[in-house]
Amino acid sequence: MDNSPDEYHISFFNPNTPQATANRNMVIWMASIWFIAIFGFQILLRVIQRPTPETAYITFQQVWKNVENGSANTEELQEFGQVTLSVLGKIAISPDHRFVLDNAISWTLYQLKDESSKADFAANIKQFEKIKANLKNISDPDYIKAKVALAAELSPMLKLSGLDVRSKILPLELSSENIEKMTEDTKNNLPGIMEKYLVHNQSILTDIRFLGFPFHYFYTAFFLLILFVGLCLLYCIKIDQLNAKLNIVD
Amino acid sequence: MKKIYFSFLLMAISTLSQAASGATQLEGSFKVGPAIILISILVLFVLVGIVFRAKDTTDFYAAGRGISKVGSGMAIASNWMSAASFLGMAALMYGSGYHGLAYVVGWTGGYVLLLILMAGQIRKYGKYTAADFIGDRYYSQTLRAVGAIIAILISISYCVGQFGGIGLMFKWVMGIDYNWAVIIGGSVVLAYTLISGMLGVTKNMQIQYVIIIVSFLIPLFILTFKFDYFWLLPQIGYGSVVSDIVSGIPLSESNQLLNSLGHDFAIVPAPEFAMPWDPATGKTFFQWMAIAFSLMIGTAGLPHVIQRFYVVPKARDARWSVVWGLFFICILYWSAPAYAAFGKILSANPEVGQLAKDAIVVYTAQLGDVHPLIVGLLAAGGVSAAFSTVSGLLVAGASAFSHDLYVKVINPDASPKRQLLFARLGTVLMAMIVTVIALFKLALIGQLVAVAFSLAGCTIFPLFLLGIWWSESNKQGAIAGLIAGGAVSLISLTYFIAGKMGASWPLHEFVDYWLGAWYFAWLGAPLAIFTNIIVSKFTKETPIEIRKFLIEKVHS
Repeated sequence: MDNSPDEYHISFFNPNTPQATANRNMVIWMASIWFIAIFGFQILLRVIQRPTPETAYITFQQVWKNVENGSANTEELQEFGQVTLSVLGKIAISPDHRFVLDNAISWTLYQLKDESSKADFAANIKQFEKIKANLKNISDPDYIKAKVALAAELSPMLKLSGLDVRSKILPLELSSENIEKMTEDTKNNLPGIMEKYLVHNQSILTDIRFLGFPFHYFYTAFFLLILFVGLCLLYCIKIDQLNAKLNIVD
Repeated sequence: MKKIYFSFLLMAISTLSQAASGATQLEGSFKVGPAIILISILVLFVLVGIVFRAKDTTDFYAAGRGISKVGSGMAIASNWMSAASFLGMAALMYGSGYHGLAYVVGWTGGYVLLLILMAGQIRKYGKYTAADFIGDRYYSQTLRAVGAIIAILISISYCVGQFGGIGLMFKWVMGIDYNWAVIIGGSVVLAYTLISGMLGVTKNMQIQYVIIIVSFLIPLFILTFKFDYFWLLPQIGYGSVVSDIVSGIPLSESNQLLNSLGHDFAIVPAPEFAMPWDPATGKTFFQWMAIAFSLMIGTAGLPHVIQRFYVVPKARDARWSVVWGLFFICILYWSAPAYAAFGKILSANPEVGQLAKDAIVVYTAQLGDVHPLIVGLLAAGGVSAAFSTVSGLLVAGASAFSHDLYVKVINPDASPKRQLLFARLGTVLMAMIVTVIALFKLALIGQLVAVAFSLAGCTIFPLFLLGIWWSESNKQGAIAGLIAGGAVSLISLTYFIAGKMGASWPLHEFVDYWLGAWYFAWLGAPLAIFTNIIVSKFTKETPIEIRKFLIEKVHS
C-alpha cells in the first residue's frame, strides 16, 4: 500500500484490499438474502392477502338486519346468539367489546324466552351474578351448580349441543344489565366488532399446512431462525477460508 | 454415614414436594418448593461470582479476555436471553399473535447484521466499551461522554423490563406485593453483580444459560406429551397447536384433557392468533416491519452486546462466538411461541380470568398441571434470565460511568482501586434508578426492552456502522447524526411518557403510531446515518492517524 495520506481511505463500497473486496461481496450477498428472506416474505404476505371472513361472520351478515330492526325469527336469533358466542369464546377481546357482546347474547336469550318466563330468566341471571360476585373459588359447589343449570337450560335455546364449547361459555357471559333491550351502543358497535374479530388476512401461504404449522407461521417462527444461524455459520466459514487463502492471522 | 445422608436427602425431597403443592394456585401464597429452588440457584450464582470475582479493572470490564468462543457464545446467549426473551416474548405472542413474531425475528435477525458488519472489526479495534470506541474513532472527549451517557440510558431502559420480570417472578414465588418483589429482587441482583464483576458474570452466564434453557424446555416437553402433540421436538410439535387454535378444538376432540382448573382442552376457532397483522390484534403491517427492523439494528448497537466481543481473545473468536451465541439463543426462541400457543388454549375459558401476560409462561405450565416443582424451576429460570442480563447491563453501565466518564473525561489519573470503586458506585446508582422506574409498570417487559433497542439503533448503531466502514465519517458528522437520531428518540419517548401520564398533546396519535416507543429506530437510524454522511462530506476530513489505524488494524 502507498503510504501517502490520500491512500488511507476505507469505504465499504470501495474496498482497497483483496480481503476487503471479498468481504464486501460476501456481506452484500448475505445482507440481500437476509433482507429478502425477512421483509420480502412479509411484503409478499401483505400483497397476496385477502380479507377472509369466518363462517360465523357470513351468518352474522345474513341475520343482522332483521335482528337490528327487531324482526328476526327464532332461527335467526339462535344463529345470531351462536355467532355472538363464537366471538366471546376468543380470549383477546377488549373489555369494551365484551360488554357489548354480553348485552347482545343476554338480550338474544331474553327474546327467545316466553313472555311468561322472561322475569324468572332475568332473576336467575341476577342471582348467578350475585354468586359470581362473591365467588372465592371456582370449585365452589353452589357456583358450579348454578352454572351447570344455566348452561343446561339455555344451550338448547340456541341449538347448542352439550359438546359445543360455546355452551360452556354461555352462562359466564350473561349480563342482567339492559337485558330487555339491545342498547343503541350495542346496535352501533356490533357490526364493527364482528368484522374486527371474524375477518382475517388470509392467503394461500396462511392456508397451507407444513409440519403442522400454517406455512407462513412456520416460515417466520422457525425457518427464518434456521436461516439466520446458517448465514452466520456460512459467513464464518467463508471468512476463515479467505483468511487462510490470504495468509491473514487475527 | 451414607444411610444418614440418604435419609436426609429423601426427607428434603419429600418436604420440597409437599411444600411445593402451594404452587398449584395460579397466584397467592408463599410457595416453598419454588422458593427453595430459586434461592439455591441464586446462592450458586453468588458462589460462582465469589470464586471468579474481579481482581482488577481488566477483569471487571472484560473478563481478562480469556473466554473461549463456545463459552463466550453461551455468555452471549445468556446475556441476551433476558426476561424479555424468557417471559416477554410469549407474552407478546399470547396478546397479539403473529405480531409477536416480529420480536422473535427482530431479536435474532440482528445477529446476522452484527456478525457481518461489526463483530470481528469491533474486536480488532480493541477497546473496552462502546463509548471508548466512539471517543477514539471520532477523536472527541465530548462524544465519548455522550456515548457513555447513552450507554447508561440504554442500560437503564433495558434493565427496567428485567426488573419488572424479576418482580413478577418474585411476586409469584413469594406471594408478596409486586413493589416489594421488585425491591427485593433488585437488591439481590445488585449484590451479586457487585460481588462478581464481569469475570464472575461471564462464568455465571454459562451456568445461567444451562439453567435457563433446561428450565424452559422441560415443561414444554411435558405439555406437548400431556396434550398429545409431537413431544420429541416440541418446537415443531406446537405447530399443530397453532393450527388447532386457528380451526378450533371441539369438545368432542379434546380427549377429555383438562387444564389444572378443570376446563376442557377446547377452544372456538381463533384465526386471529396466527394470521398476519390481524385486525383483532389492533396491530398493522407497518408496525410489524418497523418493530422487526428496529430490533435488528438495535441489536447491533447495544453496548452490553458489543462489549461481549471485547472479552474474546481474537477477532475470529468474536465471529464464531456470534454463531454459537445465536444458535443457543434460537433454542429458546424456537420454543417461546409454544408457550403462547398452549397458554391460549389453556386459558381460553373465561373463568380463568385476565392473566398477567408477562407471566404467561409460568401460568401456562401451571394451567397444564405440570408438577409444581418443575413450575418452580421454570420461574427460577425466568429469574436467572433476568439476572444474567441485568448483571451484564449493570457492568456495561458501570463501565460507561467509571471508565468512560470518570477516568477518561473527569480524572485520567485515577488509581485502579478508585476506578473500581466508581464502577461499583455506578452500579448501585443505576440499580436504584431502575428499581424506581420499574415500580411504575409502564408497559409489557418485551416492549420496555424494545425501547432500549430503538434508542441504540438511533444512536450507537450509526456511529459504529459508519465508524468501522467509512473512514470519511468524522467528528462533525457523528455529532450531527447523533443529534438527528437523538431528536427522533426524544420526540418518541417524550410523547410516550406524556401519554403514560395522561397528557394528550398535538399529533399524539400520529407520533404514537408512526414513532411508537418500541420502533422509532425505523426512522431515527436511517436519518442519523444520512445526516452523518452529509455533514461528514462537507466538513474537515478524519485525521490521518484514525484512517491509518482503520486500514492497518481493523480491516487488514
